Amino acid sequence: MMDHSEATREVLWNISNGWIMYALLVPTAAIGIYGIWKRFQSWKQGLPAEGRLDNPGKRLRFLWQHALLQRRNMRQRFAGIFHAMIFWGFITLTIATTVVMIDHDFGIPIMKGAFYLYFQSLFVDVLGLLALVGVALAGYRRWKTKPTKLVYTDEASMILILVGIILATGFMLEGWRIVATNDPWGAWSPVGYATGIVSAQFFSVETLIQFHLWCWWFHLVLVFGFLAWAPYTKMLHPLTSALNIYAANLEPVGASLKTIDFEKAETFGVNALKQFTWKDLLDLDACTECGRCTDACPANTVGKALSPRDIILDLRGWLHEGADDEFKLIGSTDSLESDRLFECTSCAACVDACPVSIEQLPKIVDMRRFQVMEEAEFPETMQQAVNSLEERQHPYSGSQFSRADWMQELDIPHASETDDAEVLVWAGCGASLVERNQKSIRSLARLLKKAGVKFSVLGRDEKCTGDVARRIGNEFLFESLAKENIDNFKKHKVKKVVTACPHCFNTFRNEYPQLGADFETVHHSAYLGSLINEGRLKITVASERRIAFHDPCYLSRHNNLTEEPRDLLNSTSQVAMTELPRNRQNSFCCGGGGGMSFVDEPSDKRVNHERAREILNTDADTVAVGCPFCTTMMEDGINATKGDRKIEVREISELLDEACNGESNT
Amino acid sequence: MNILVCLKQILDPEVPVRDFAIDASGLQADPACANQVTNIFCENALETALQLKDLHGGKITLLTLGPESAEDALRKGLAMKADEAYLILNDTEQLPDSAATAKALAAAIDKLDAFDLILAGRESGDWGAGQTGGLLAEELSLPFTAFVDQISLEGEERLVLRQQTDSGWKSFSSPKPTVASITNSDHNLPRIPKTRDIIMANRKPVTTWSLEELGISQDSFPTQETKARVRQLSIPEAKSDCEFIEGDSVEEKIEKLADKIAAIARAV
Repeated sequence: MMDHSEATREVLWNISNGWIMYALLVPTAAIGIYGIWKRFQSWKQGLPAEGRLDNPGKRLRFLWQHALLQRRNMRQRFAGIFHAMIFWGFITLTIATTVVMIDHDFGIPIMKGAFYLYFQSLFVDVLGLLALVGVALAGYRRWKTKPTKLVYTDEASMILILVGIILATGFMLEGWRIVATNDPWGAWSPVGYATGIVSAQFFSVETLIQFHLWCWWFHLVLVFGFLAWAPYTKMLHPLTSALNIYAANLEPVGASLKTIDFEKAETFGVNALKQFTWKDLLDLDACTECGRCTDACPANTVGKALSPRDIILDLRGWLHEGADDEFKLIGSTDSLESDRLFECTSCAACVDACPVSIEQLPKIVDMRRFQVMEEAEFPETMQQAVNSLEERQHPYSGSQFSRADWMQELDIPHASETDDAEVLVWAGCGASLVERNQKSIRSLARLLKKAGVKFSVLGRDEKCTGDVARRIGNEFLFESLAKENIDNFKKHKVKKVVTACPHCFNTFRNEYPQLGADFETVHHSAYLGSLINEGRLKITVASERRIAFHDPCYLSRHNNLTEEPRDLLNSTSQVAMTELPRNRQNSFCCGGGGGMSFVDEPSDKRVNHERAREILNTDADTVAVGCPFCTTMMEDGINATKGDRKIEVREISELLDEACNGESNT
Repeated sequence: MNILVCLKQILDPEVPVRDFAIDASGLQADPACANQVTNIFCENALETALQLKDLHGGKITLLTLGPESAEDALRKGLAMKADEAYLILNDTEQLPDSAATAKALAAAIDKLDAFDLILAGRESGDWGAGQTGGLLAEELSLPFTAFVDQISLEGEERLVLRQQTDSGWKSFSSPKPTVASITNSDHNLPRIPKTRDIIMANRKPVTTWSLEELGISQDSFPTQETKARVRQLSIPEAKSDCEFIEGDSVEEKIEKLADKIAAIARAV
C-alpha cells in the first residue's frame, strides 16, 4: 500500500520554455478583458435601474439557486441536464486549474495527498468526463434533433467543437503523461488513465511523449484562444448570465413594469437603446440563445410572428453594432416590427421560462409605450379600447351594460352607504360589462352574503384599474385611471378589496402601491377559501364534476398564486381534479391579456383554441376559470373546438355557489 | 388654409340603458347619468381639417358652445393638433336649439380672423337635428354643403366638397370661404392623439367668451331664438307580452291561434 500523503504530480511535465505560456497569457487577457470592458461600457449607456443591486443576501441566494444549482435551467430535462453537466464540469476544471496555479505559481504545495487523489484526480476526471458527455449530447441536439427554438449559428457550433476538443485533448494529455511517467497514482484519474492505456496499445512511449508535447501547446493555444474570443460571443454568458441572475427582478413578475415621470421623461417608452435601463441592456448580453422564451410564447405557438427570443437577439445585435442614439429600434428588424409587438398577451411565459432571468415582457411593453404614446400607431381595435377607456373608463366600447347591472336585486350597499363593511368587492369591467361574467360576480356576491360577510361595492364609481391601458402601452392613461381609483378608495376609506379579476388583483397589489395606494387586495379564490376554512361557508352538495383548472397568467405567473384556487375547487367536487399538462406557473395563456381581448385574431391563429385543444385532451368535464378574460376566451375556444364533447367552462365562484346551494344559479 | 371646426360635447351616446336618466325638468337627459364626450361627427370634421392641414399647411381653430366641461372637448381637439380653441360659455343650464347655437357660433366667428373653411359635424349624437351647419352658413351668408366626406383644393380660390348620398357621391365646387357638415367615412376616422400632445394640450390657452361678450343676452338665451322647443322627453318602456295558447290537441291550438291573429288583425 502506497502512502497517499506522497501523492502528487509534476506540473509542466515534458514542457520546456514554459515562460511562453505566461507570455501568451498577456495578449489573451488583454483581448478578453477588452471584450468584457466593451460590454460594460455598452450597458452603462442605459438609464438607472432602481433597486436591482439591493438586498445582496437575497440576491446571492437567488444566484446560488439559479446559477450554481441551475434550478430554472433544469426545468427542461434534456437540455437542462447536459447544460448542468458542462457547467459543473467547467466549474470543477476551473477550480482544478486554480489549484495548479496556487501550487505551482504561488509555491503553496496544496496539490498533494488525499486532496490530490480525491479531488484533483478522481473528482476532476469524473466531472471532466461529464462535461465531455454533456458536449456530445449538446452536439447531438444541435446537429441531429435540431429543435426549432435553437439559433443555428457558426459561432454556436464553433463554441461546442472548441469546448469538446479542449476537453478531449485534456484527457489525452493526462493519459499520455500517466503512461510516460508510469504515474503510480494514474488510476485515480480513470478517464485519463484509460486514454493512456489505450494509446499505449498503438504507440510507443517515446511517440506518446512527442504527442504530449505538441498536444500540450495545441491545447494551450485552444484554451487561450477560447478565453480571448469568448467575451465577443455568447460564451460571455457565464459572466453576463450570472450578473443578470444576481440583478434579477425579485418582486413578482406582475410588479415588473416601471412607472414614467411624465414631467421629466424625454421620451415616453423606448425606441433607442439608451432609453432602456442598464439592466435591460445587460439582459441582452445575458441571452444564451436557448429559445425557451419563444418556445413558451403563446402567440408564437399558434403561428404568429412574435418571438421574444428574436426581439432580444435583434436588440443585442444593435447593441453590439454600437447603434447610435438616433437609431430607431422599432421596425429595424422583422422581430421588432410594431405589429409583432402588439401580438403579445403579456402572459410572461417568456420571463418565466428564461433560465437567466431575462425580462422580455417589460421591454415589449416599453416599445409598445413608444408606439402608443409617441407615435399613436397601434392596432385599430386596441385604439377603440383606449378611446373607450378615455371616454367612459372601461375598454368595452359598445357594451350595453351598466356597472350597476350585475347587482340588481342583490341589495349591496355602496361604499358610501356603509361604515362596517369587512371588504369591498371590486367587480371590474370584465365582470360587470360582459353579460356572461355577470353570472360569476353574482355568484360571488351570493356566496359572501351566505357567509354573512358585510361587503360594499363602488358600482358606477368603479373605473378600469388601468391594466388594459398599461399593457397596451398607454402608461399616461393608466396613471390617470389609477390615481382616480386610488383617490376614490381613500375617500371611502377602503382597507381591503376582494376581486375576481386577476388583472385588477395584480394592478391593485403590485402597481397601485407605486402610486401611493395603501390597501390590501385578495383574489376571491383565496378569500372564499378562507371563508370555508373559518366555517363561514359550508359545502352542502359536492358535485361529481371532473374539474381542470386553467390557471390565469396574472395569478400564477405574475403572482405565484396557484394553490388557493385548487384547494377551493377540490372542495366543490367529490371527483379528484385533473391537471392540464401546462399548469400553475407553466400555464398557457387564454389569449386575452395585454389588450388582446380587444383584438380580432386570425381564425387559424387563436391562442384560446390551442389551449382549448389541450383541455379537450384531458378527461375533464368542467374547465374552471378564475378570470373574466379567461372565461370569455375559454368559452369561445371550447365551443369552437369541442364538437360533441360535453364540457363546460365555469368560473370558480359559480362552482362554489353550486356546491354551497345545491343548485346552479343564474 | 385657415379652417374653423365646430365641436359639440354631448352625453356619451353609449350610455347603458339602465344608466340613462332624464333630469328634473323632464326636457333633457340628466348630464350626470353618463360621461360627456365629443360628438363623433365633430371629430370626423376635425380629422378632415387635420388632413387638409397635413397636406397644405395652415391653421385650425376650434369653437364650441357649451358648459365649462366642454373645454375637455376642446383640449382633446388641441391634443389632436388643432392650433387654437374658443369656448362660448353657456351657463344657462338650458340646451340651445340649432338656430340659437348657430347664432352664437356665428357671433364668435365674426370676432375671429377670416376662415377659408368652416366645418361642423353632420349631426350630433344626442338630439340628431343635423341643422347647425346649415343654419351657421345662413348666419354667415356663406355657401353650405351637407354630408361631406372628402374635401380637396381646386386652385387657390375654390374647394371641391364630396357629398355622400344614398347611392354614391356628388362633388361640388365651392368658392372659399365655405361651410360644410362632415359625415363619417373610412378615411376620416379621428386620429388617436399622442400622449405628449395630450400633455401639451393641457398647457395651451383656451379662450372663453361669455354670451354677453358676443352680444347675446343671457336672459333671452336660448328661448328668444328658439323656434322649436322640446315639450317632453321620456324613456320608452320596453314591454313584451307572451301568452301560451292552451289546448288539448294541436288542431285546437292552431284554431285558437288563428282566432287570436284574426282578432289582432281586426284591431289593427
